[in-house]
Amino acid sequence: MNRWAYVLLTAALTAVVALWAIPYVGDSTADTHVWVEGNSLLGVSLAVHIDSLAAQVLLLAVGIGLLVQIYSTAYLQHHPRYRSYALVIILFLLGMIAVVVADDFFVLLIGWEVMGLCSYLLIGHEWETPEARAGAAKAFLMTRVADLGLLVGIIVIGQTYGTYRISEVLAQDPKNVTAIGLLLLVAVVGKSAQFPLHTWLPDAMPGPTPITALIHAATMVAAGVYLVARLLPIFEASQLVMTALAIIAAITMLLAALCALAQTDLKRALAWSTVSQLAFMFAALSMGDRDAGTDHLLSHGAFKALLFLGCGCLMHAVGSSALSAMGGLRKAMPVTFLSMTIGFAALAGFIPTVGFFTKDSVLAALEHGAKGDAAVPASVGSIVFYVALATTFVTAVYAARLWLTAFFGPAKEGHEAPRAMLGPVVVLAIATFALSIGQPFHLGFGLISTGVAVLATAVVVYAWSDRGGELDIDAPLLTREFDLDAPFTRWIPAATREAARLVVVVDRDGVDAYPDGGAAGAQLTSRALELVQSRNVQRYATVMTVGVIALVAAGVIWT
Amino acid sequence: MPLLYPLVLAAVLFGIGVYGVLARRNAVLMLLGVELMLNAVNLNLVAFDAWLGDEIHTGQSLTLFTIAIAAAEIGLGLAIILALFRAVRTIDVDQVGAQS
Repeated sequence: MNRWAYVLLTAALTAVVALWAIPYVGDSTADTHVWVEGNSLLGVSLAVHIDSLAAQVLLLAVGIGLLVQIYSTAYLQHHPRYRSYALVIILFLLGMIAVVVADDFFVLLIGWEVMGLCSYLLIGHEWETPEARAGAAKAFLMTRVADLGLLVGIIVIGQTYGTYRISEVLAQDPKNVTAIGLLLLVAVVGKSAQFPLHTWLPDAMPGPTPITALIHAATMVAAGVYLVARLLPIFEASQLVMTALAIIAAITMLLAALCALAQTDLKRALAWSTVSQLAFMFAALSMGDRDAGTDHLLSHGAFKALLFLGCGCLMHAVGSSALSAMGGLRKAMPVTFLSMTIGFAALAGFIPTVGFFTKDSVLAALEHGAKGDAAVPASVGSIVFYVALATTFVTAVYAARLWLTAFFGPAKEGHEAPRAMLGPVVVLAIATFALSIGQPFHLGFGLISTGVAVLATAVVVYAWSDRGGELDIDAPLLTREFDLDAPFTRWIPAATREAARLVVVVDRDGVDAYPDGGAAGAQLTSRALELVQSRNVQRYATVMTVGVIALVAAGVIWT
Repeated sequence: MPLLYPLVLAAVLFGIGVYGVLARRNAVLMLLGVELMLNAVNLNLVAFDAWLGDEIHTGQSLTLFTIAIAAAEIGLGLAIILALFRAVRTIDVDQVGAQS
């Protein structure tokens, strides 16, 4: 029963953070509080900066963290390593809080790395399986390499602005923005699983499902979006960086949505969907619209956590996350069915879920960019806009496909999950509606995206009935996920191996020649000297004498 | 008397001593060679002493030391040879090495 102790611990943390953050939500004030000023002894300032956005992200993180802790008490009920699991979640939340409120770049970096470490530990929590070990190592290595961009970027910021305090940096005029922006972009692309560093996120799925909901859907992967939003003035000052961000987002959103379309595994499809939705946020930010991007961050955090937790309920019932194991579960699991229907509706963008409103905000921001009102060129803006529209359609298609495959058709055996798992799911389902309150409403886009969603769903339902209730998509390129993993799983290792072989050759034939030659020379010399070792004392004495005489003679002649 | 005569004589004596030590197999005769070398050195010392006209006769006093040490050394050497002979019934150094 002590599993609830960790829930209490998380609840205490949540309560403290909520008391602190709630007054700032929707408020235009921003507070900076310095606990410890950086000096020669302590190189970093322990300072916090909180505004409306930070407060909202904080509440999202601790709220989902608390729900996930409650959910885990049932989902990982009999796991032998429960304590480390629960405590690493709390450590993760502390890292996330540090990233969100830090006003010193190095504290932000520490939080950023703590999150990466916790992600690694939790993906690999069930390290008995090789997939979990491989996924954990892959996630850690790929994000860690990208994090070097953040480290170098921070150092460049410090050298350029003369301070590591974020609020002081943002108060100055932007300088040296292209270099800084590109370096930070590398880190963000790695952490938020954007093209071309996106392949770790689908492979992180062997981790426990609550972890996927918390880290790989709602918080850590969104930290990249948060960082761009926080430092938007620096990014905005460089057209090159914003254009790169827009293009990366456009490529990622469509590619990931297409990959999600062809998955045969519900959890992996949701992971690809996360990659695609993160690209939506980046697209909005690349048009300079901070609110649209961060609103979509919050709404996606809620409904994607809902979908993943619901997916955990399905896995609990059928024992696997493969779509082939599911089907017709709406009768056996009514609460899960209703909640996940709300989640899928939010993903596809049906009114009145929060996904509908925030996606329309993103589309409106992109249309701004297409008109040329943003930092990016109008041509890029319009490309991203149309790609986003196409992605919206594909998103609705795969959402409908997953929903139909899991819940309709011939009924499979299943049972409703325990209350500790259903509670969080229901709370998130309610939140998916509740967050809609006060969201901006765009009439034109509302009509368009509703039309797109309805059309897509109609297409899927028609195909489903036409093909007798099976929706497998036979597209080898999509199931191979465009072979974008090849650089990381094949080319880089192969290149590394070749380089290692080359180093061995250089070492063996080049560097080692000197010690080997020295040894051979010493051996030859001693072989030659061996001839003199006759074990005859007289001969030795003779040689000595002759030597002495020769030396004396030489000394006499050449003095 | 020129310095050269005693020096040449000493060099010849020293050479004979070295030859004795290197070429002889009889342990007593090897000792004899050592003795010849020592005395060649003594001759050198005395000759240089006389040639330099040293006030305190360093060369001659050093010669006395050498003579004393040589006497002790020859006694010790002969004692060792005697012990060797009692042990292995020969004083031929090659045979001693072969038998040990």
